[in-house]
Amino acid sequence: MSLLNTFFTKNIYSTTRRILVLTMRPSSTESSENNAPIEMENPYKKERRQCILCQLNITPDYKNYRLLSQFQSPYTGRIYGRHITGLCKNKQALVEAEIKKAQNCAYMPYYYKDKTFLKDPKLFDPQNPIRSHRF
Amino acid sequence: MPAYELALLLRAMPKQELKSTLKRVSHAIFNRGGIIRNIENLGFRAMPYKTSAHGLVHREANYFVFKIDTATQAVADLKEEYSRDVDIIRQRVFKVQNDCDHSCTLEEEMLPPAYREEVQKMIEVGKTQVNRFTYKFKYNSGLDYYPFQK
Ligand SMILES: [Zn+2]
Repeated sequence: MSLLNTFFTKNIYSTTRRILVLTMRPSSTESSENNAPIEMENPYKKERRQCILCQLNITPDYKNYRLLSQFQSPYTGRIYGRHITGLCKNKQALVEAEIKKAQNCAYMPYYYKDKTFLKDPKLFDPQNPIRSHRF
Repeated sequence: MPAYELALLLRAMPKQELKSTLKRVSHAIFNRGGIIRNIENLGFRAMPYKTSAHGLVHREANYFVFKIDTATQAVADLKEEYSRDVDIIRQRVFKVQNDCDHSCTLEEEMLPPAYREEVQKMIEVGKTQVNRFTYKFKYNSGLDYYPFQK
């Protein structure tokens, strides 16, 4: 009785397996034509980085000394370098030129930052430069 | 006529005097065939550093910006006239630069050095020059003595 039982189950198993294979085969051959690689752009490509002034489309101006003072050290009044501000070369040169103009016109101090601007939002962290310090 | 910006610092004075000073300043421009496009008043405030002008020390000033169009030769003339004006503490003339469209190059600048264009150029220049560290004097150079100290 037990032998008959095992034979029966085995038979069922083999038949179901055959059915499964039969149903799978035609579908796999059909999809191989649709599975051809699709031409598309690299979906993992990162977005082009921009500096904050280019992003917001701001041209630094010597009259806007509040903006310029954000690129100045609050302790010494010196202009932060490109490795700290994270600006592109063009904008950094513009910012530096405009700060010098503003200082020369007595809009901005040379050796300190205007105390009314000390609590302005920080555009960057001098302690974490994008390129390491020389010091 | 090129566009200029005239940044003026006027000494602290009552409103009536300020008015006459501004009139004097603008008439100097008109007399030389210039035109004023705009006058901006940036207010009366303390200067970031004290300035001495015409024998007086000034700590506060009236800030004005004139946007003018004038002949290039007239600018030096104007500067000379304003330098004699006792009400003007400081005057600076800047040429107005038109906005130039340029794309941000931050992405290229953040690449590792070997991929940056300027570094590649530097390497090319370096290849054309004699490397002082690996250069070796050749004895068959025509000289019958070694020119350097051994
Ligand atoms: Zn940029």
